[in-house]
Amino acid sequence: MRSFRPFTALLALLLTAGSAGSAAADVRAGEWVSYRDAYRSMVMFEKYGGPKNLLQNQLEVQPREHGVSLDGVQLVLAGKANQLNLPLDPLGRAVFPLQKAAYDENAALLLNHKGLTFSLRPQVTIAPRADGVYDSAELRAACAQALGYARYVDASQRGRQCVGVRFVFPKKSDVGARVRRGDGREHPLAVASGPAFAGDADDGFQVVNYRFGPDGERAQVTAYDAPLAIVPVFE
Amino acid sequence: MNKLLFLALAMSCAASRAETPAANAMPDGSRDMYAGLGVLSAPRYDGTGSRKVSALPTIQVEWSNGIFVSGMGAGMHLSASPTLEYGPLLSVLPRRSESGTATAADGVGTIQGFVPSANLNVRKIPADRLTGMDDIPTRVLGGVFLNYYLDPQWRLTSSLLYGSGRDRNGARLELGVQRLAATLGDRHRVSLGAGLTAVNRSDNQTYFGVTGTEALRSRFTYYQPGGGLQDMHADLRWNWVWTPSWMLTTHLEAKRLLGSASHSPLAERPSNLTVSTAIAYRF
Repeated sequence: MRSFRPFTALLALLLTAGSAGSAAADVRAGEWVSYRDAYRSMVMFEKYGGPKNLLQNQLEVQPREHGVSLDGVQLVLAGKANQLNLPLDPLGRAVFPLQKAAYDENAALLLNHKGLTFSLRPQVTIAPRADGVYDSAELRAACAQALGYARYVDASQRGRQCVGVRFVFPKKSDVGARVRRGDGREHPLAVASGPAFAGDADDGFQVVNYRFGPDGERAQVTAYDAPLAIVPVFE
Repeated sequence: MNKLLFLALAMSCAASRAETPAANAMPDGSRDMYAGLGVLSAPRYDGTGSRKVSALPTIQVEWSNGIFVSGMGAGMHLSASPTLEYGPLLSVLPRRSESGTATAADGVGTIQGFVPSANLNVRKIPADRLTGMDDIPTRVLGGVFLNYYLDPQWRLTSSLLYGSGRDRNGARLELGVQRLAATLGDRHRVSLGAGLTAVNRSDNQTYFGVTGTEALRSRFTYYQPGGGLQDMHADLRWNWVWTPSWMLTTHLEAKRLLGSASHSPLAERPSNLTVSTAIAYRF
């Protein structure tokens, strides 16, 4: 009988935990993500001690089914007693709140549209400028910051280099950007349709790729419209 | 990162292998805890083909200060890097007894001193027991672990532990590689691992050796193994996450004894399988 005591105690503990109930425990399979798991991914950026003043870190919602629109969809942080709506931008990204209370109560992240299965991943991008004018040196520095962080969390990134940035604009919009080189020459950058981030299924965004020139080359990129995101490109 | 995640729930109170959960990033003063109960089917002891089914408590706790408890192991993450983990590690090796009832133990006592032939013992002693072998007390091993992430999914693992064996001077070195589940939102998370265990002479002699006295009173012949590789193993862990709090965790491990351990008279079956499944609650 002695050997059964710990099992009995553990079983009692589990039953107590199960009967306590919570909003998180009521979520349906396939429609939630553990807040703790998301927290662990997102807090890495906060704890990163390297330069990151030119970067921003958001949580991207990725629908598991192709062709699903996120229009009108919000991410919901569901705790035991409270809910917090997290609006998504056109790229499906939300600003992630780092909350000890939500972590401690093992909250869930849901979508406000039932039946939509999804996964989450952190996305580090370059913070856009209000005037839309980007000096190539600043873009290089921002890309280097992003690469530094990528190497911090993923050792396999150590062999990669910054080669440029990708400006992502809204779908079906009349957008564009031009570059002015150090010698005064100026020309437009090509606009194409593509995904905002590598691996995204939605390839309908207007994107402008700007590849860095030789080291030390001075250039200035002007975006005609505010980009949804400026994505560092590593190769 | 979310390798934890990712972090597969990597624990089994019945397993003696020291496992270290991924370094945890959490708010100061917080903890992440799993506790559960399940069932385990495992060899009665390393090397035997005889199996036993037993209840399996599961426990894994990580605190924000880096201290963790995982099954029969405990340690502390000292690294601040997401790609490198290291720190002190404690691991408990459970007691190995004759695995028999009180009656069987009494039978050993009777045989001792009257039956000089081990062959004769074979007919009288259940072939799936360690009757006549000395008990090996529970041992607490101390040492260090060092893990390196090749990328967020692949982790090289190692640990060096000291204190096993009858005289507490056994040492174990474990080297492995793991592929961790990493996608945020997956209901089914499968992680894979493989590795090698190397031990010193003292460890191998305790768990796979047969002393002269033991040979006289047991069905095993005298055997004194040396140090070296003890086993290679591969495992699969499948976590089926039902809700943020509840999950079913299933573990399958195949192990093959190597070197002098595989030649031990106790190693009637050098390859073996351990299977466990448990329902766990995340607190």
